[in-house]
Amino acid sequence: MRVQVADPYIELRTEPGRGYPVFYVAERGEWIEILKRKTDWFKVRLASGKEGWVNRLQLENTLTETGARTTFRDVMLADYLDRRLEVGFGWGRFDQDPVLTMRIGYGLTPNFFVELSASQVTAVYSSTSLTQLNLMALPFADRRVSPYFTLGAGRYQKTPKVTLVDSPEISVTAANAGFGVRVYLTRNFLVRGDFREYMAPINDNRVDTFKEWTLGLGVFF
Amino acid sequence: MTNRKILMLCLGAAPLLSPAFVLADAEDKSIPAQEQVIQPQLERRDVKVPHINADDIEVGFYKGILSIENFSAQSVTGLRLAYHVTEDFFIEGVKAKSTISDEFFRSRAFPITGFDKQEEDLTYYNVSLGYNVLPGEIFLGRRWAMASAFYIIGGIGTTTFAKESHATFNFGGGYRILLNDWFALHIDMRDHVFDSDLLGQNKRTNNFEATAGLTVFF
Repeated sequence: MRVQVADPYIELRTEPGRGYPVFYVAERGEWIEILKRKTDWFKVRLASGKEGWVNRLQLENTLTETGARTTFRDVMLADYLDRRLEVGFGWGRFDQDPVLTMRIGYGLTPNFFVELSASQVTAVYSSTSLTQLNLMALPFADRRVSPYFTLGAGRYQKTPKVTLVDSPEISVTAANAGFGVRVYLTRNFLVRGDFREYMAPINDNRVDTFKEWTLGLGVFF
Repeated sequence: MTNRKILMLCLGAAPLLSPAFVLADAEDKSIPAQEQVIQPQLERRDVKVPHINADDIEVGFYKGILSIENFSAQSVTGLRLAYHVTEDFFIEGVKAKSTISDEFFRSRAFPITGFDKQEEDLTYYNVSLGYNVLPGEIFLGRRWAMASAFYIIGGIGTTTFAKESHATFNFGGGYRILLNDWFALHIDMRDHVFDSDLLGQNKRTNNFEATAGLTVFF
């Protein structure tokens, strides 16, 4: 992809990072070829054959070949809006016990996500694993601080520690409902707090309920 | 240049003109506000912007030594998948295999509960957040300069051996040297912390790991 420099100048660095030395400067009007990207840094090649790394902010005002009105900013925006896969993890409390959660989510629309989560609860006498498939509704998906509601179901498995004898393993289908809030730190990086209540029917006349609070991180691909 | 001047003039004039438009709207209600009065005879070209290849994903493997508290140090082999969110932060997922041996206890006629044989498989996986604290460049002679970074990393996961899973925290640091744009060398030191009651009493264990690995970016 070729773009034309529109800022007075852009700086080429030796490596993709803010602290690496600037070894060359390309002037306004110069055509540069964009080879690839690493986080917010773009590797470019000048007409003279020089190659270096330029920050996204300096390229945002460059003009593309497809038309003087299409700036590089549009290209970047299109790229970020395409991202739908979210991966993350969280840590918190499941009733009184510590819980670790890993999650993978996919945005069906900007306001609806499906999310698969695997949690592990470590208690003194047992360990519990939860695999849940959830649907999440984000009514204010375009906000930086975005609350959401979630509903789902999956497997609840409670295994007694092998060091304890004669304790049965429980494996049932459990349902969960909850809410939370997502706070975007950057375009593709977020912190989230989750509350969920689980309902696990252990047998015909007993339903166990659990409250889970977690704090987690997520990344968009 | 002239286009830009015209645009600037229009932008400057907009606040002056807007009250007039409001008045015009109020007088003539027959035209809906959304409808364009003049339909431009334009064929819009669907501009397809080319995709720029991103090198934010890192995949590789590592080998090293994992020492399990109260047991022995064994070799460990792992797969590493990382995504670089910004130039500072990355998120890393790992799955590794090792073994754990109760030879010491077994040789004293005291095998550990849950160990069917002397050497049991151990697997762990984790997801961690890393931060490049000391980015830099290293030099090999006159001709070679390579980007490098010292990172700190920490996260959560599970360690499984002898039919038991342990929720595990890991934290540590590592050094990454990029031999070129897409090929990197890692040296990593990590502490895996989990609670274990294999020796009869529930106890927090620190399990140190030192590894070296290779990764590629794509």
